[in-house]
Amino acid sequence: MTDSTDTSTQPIVRIENLHKSYGDLEVLKGVDLRVNRGEVVVILGPSGSGKSTLLRCVNLLEVPTSGKVFFEDTEITSPDTDINEIRKHVGMVFQSFNLFPHLTAKRNVMLAQEKVLKRSKEEAERVAMEQLANVGLAERADHYPSQLSGGQQQRVAIARALAMDPHVMLFDEATSALDPELVRGVLDVMKSLAREGMTMIVVTHEMGFARDVADRVVFMDGGVIVEEGIPSEVFDNPQHERTKNFLGHITLK
Amino acid sequence: MLRSLQQSKLFTVVAALMLAATVVFSLACPLQAYALDVEKCTARANQDGGAGVLGATETRVTWEAQADASESITALTFTLPAGTTFEVEDTRVTQLTGEDLMDREFLDAECTQSGDELSIVLDQPAAAGSYVRVEIYGVRFPAEGGSMVLTGTYQLTDSSVHNLPDAPAIKVIALSVPEQISNWLADQSWVQAWNSVNFLHLFFDPTIMATSFPVVFSGFLQALVIVAIAFPLAIPCGLILAFMRMSKLRILRAIGTTYVNVVRGTPLFLQIYIAFFGLPLAGINPPPILLGVVVLAMNSSAYLCEIFRAGIQSISAGQFEAAASLGMNRAQTMFYVIIPQTVRRVIPTMTSEFILLYKDTSLLAAVGIMEVVMYARTIVAATGSITPYIVAAIFYLIITLPLAKIVGNFEAKLASKDGGTSNKKNRKNKKKDQPQKVDANDDQGITPAEISSL
Ligand SMILES: Nc1ncnc2c1ncn2[C@@H]1O[C@H](COP(=O)(O)OP(=O)(O)OP(=O)(O)O)[C@@H](O)[C@H]1O
Ligand SMILES: [Mg+2]
Repeated sequence: MTDSTDTSTQPIVRIENLHKSYGDLEVLKGVDLRVNRGEVVVILGPSGSGKSTLLRCVNLLEVPTSGKVFFEDTEITSPDTDINEIRKHVGMVFQSFNLFPHLTAKRNVMLAQEKVLKRSKEEAERVAMEQLANVGLAERADHYPSQLSGGQQQRVAIARALAMDPHVMLFDEATSALDPELVRGVLDVMKSLAREGMTMIVVTHEMGFARDVADRVVFMDGGVIVEEGIPSEVFDNPQHERTKNFLGHITLK
Repeated sequence: MLRSLQQSKLFTVVAALMLAATVVFSLACPLQAYALDVEKCTARANQDGGAGVLGATETRVTWEAQADASESITALTFTLPAGTTFEVEDTRVTQLTGEDLMDREFLDAECTQSGDELSIVLDQPAAAGSYVRVEIYGVRFPAEGGSMVLTGTYQLTDSSVHNLPDAPAIKVIALSVPEQISNWLADQSWVQAWNSVNFLHLFFDPTIMATSFPVVFSGFLQALVIVAIAFPLAIPCGLILAFMRMSKLRILRAIGTTYVNVVRGTPLFLQIYIAFFGLPLAGINPPPILLGVVVLAMNSSAYLCEIFRAGIQSISAGQFEAAASLGMNRAQTMFYVIIPQTVRRVIPTMTSEFILLYKDTSLLAAVGIMEVVMYARTIVAATGSITPYIVAAIFYLIITLPLAKIVGNFEAKLASKDGGTSNKKNRKNKKKDQPQKVDANDDQGITPAEISSL
């Protein structure tokens, strides 16, 4: 798992010279990134550096202004690509959970399985219960999101994404909206997911998690990747001034 | 042979029995004397503005008979049809004599009542062969109405009692239950006291209330039918308009927006006039009810469009993004994620719109559709009391008030089930014992452009 130097591994996500502007504001200024199968990449960086935007370009929640994004062998930025076909295989977990409030936890996990993967109700239910059990919420299956704590909601959201058998999981500050005592549970789920070999791209401010779990850490600032490497390199021996500042700032906090 | 013999025997027995029955029957009944002729038996018309005789309403019965030259009447009994009531005090017996029966002489008599029977004993026997008129006052025939026949007996100076020949039947019109109630009310002293206050009589006359209720009720049913078709029709139209207004295609957006702005920017009254007077000029003559339904549905769909649009846009962008990130297409996102949440949010405003539409059926009175106000107006015109309009108001309220209540309960139930941002209990808990945290649904609303881009 930690052997990220194996360059022969086939990239599952490949981002080439990605630019994204909102009007006059250029948020991504040419980003290149490869994420290999089974790899856990943690993206760090100050607020506004474009981490979320980069992540959201991977499943085209944001449409890049220029540049290319490949998923496995498909160029998803090509107009011919059926993006929903790609999104089936790309799980995403949001800072604000975004559970469907009108459905129970179980129905949240079942919905896309039935409608997108066309699984039978029985199979969807079986998978849902399995995934909810994995995140430790089997007994909350029939609760509505409003009846769950933030941490529980986020774990349901993870189960919902995992039920689709994604090839890669995107986490955008999955724990930032949680009360401190609830962060642990969600991080544990993410850790065990990483241990099982899931390919993950994780935007987080949890330095401990990055250090323990990441195969590679990517530091972004001002819409570009400033520095990347294995956690020990980046954390203990940052090369760039901005990385040092950022890490120093974080550690101080 | 044997059989036919038996048959003829049987026939003889039956014939004998029938004969015996006839004899017994005729012996059992008093002998009929047809010497006296009943000339007339009528009841005074008591119908408002009509010539009919109503049941359960006071009338006067006039009965006239010509006695045979040999007969001098000393007493009379009348049996009124079952269920008929009458007053005995004012009963008047008149003897008419002379050329064209122009000479009238009131005969003093002792009148008594027992059940349905009125017995009249003359102080002096009437002249032999006289023409006698009896007037019975305060008669109320049964409410069910029907053909009323007076029977009875008369007694002559020789003490012989004879049956009166059946009088011509009086046709009594059945009284409807509301009319009966109204009549009954009119007799109550508290109603009379109530109506003696002019304001109460003008606006809240109980007797008019009773009679206008069923009439206005038929208008109520008409209005219900109209709104029960128009509103469900308006819902999909409103939804389509809402999607048009949020469409990626400029032309669809323009059509939707123009329609909504024009419909919402002009009075419904005017729209009704344009449809009802414009279409016939164009040679199109749809049934008025149908046209009424269509105009109301078209009007309401514009308002519903805005309700739906606001509802959809109030759903957080995160919901669209979550659905999209799971590979759901636009239609799936709408049907399984957005609309179910929107329904819960728009129910209160949709109900208000339903209430508005239901009330707006009254505008159709202007083009002759018989709905609540139209019916009320006809009774107001006939009675001069505003009471029917008050009854009309009641018919609006019996729909609108419970509806508001039911929807309130429905919302409360939904809120306690899946909460969301409108969950009061949740909100309270959060304030009390949980530190501030981002609510999953508290994101900014989504703009049409954002929806289109997903
Ligand atoms: N939809 C948008 N329209 C306009 N500007 C946007 C939009 N989304 C993001 N931005 C801007 O792009 C920049 C990068 O945003 P982004 O969310 O990618 O940053 P981030 O690195 O994820 O920051 P944070 O750590 O605060 O989440 C910010 O300046 C933000 O204001
Ligand atoms: Mg972010």
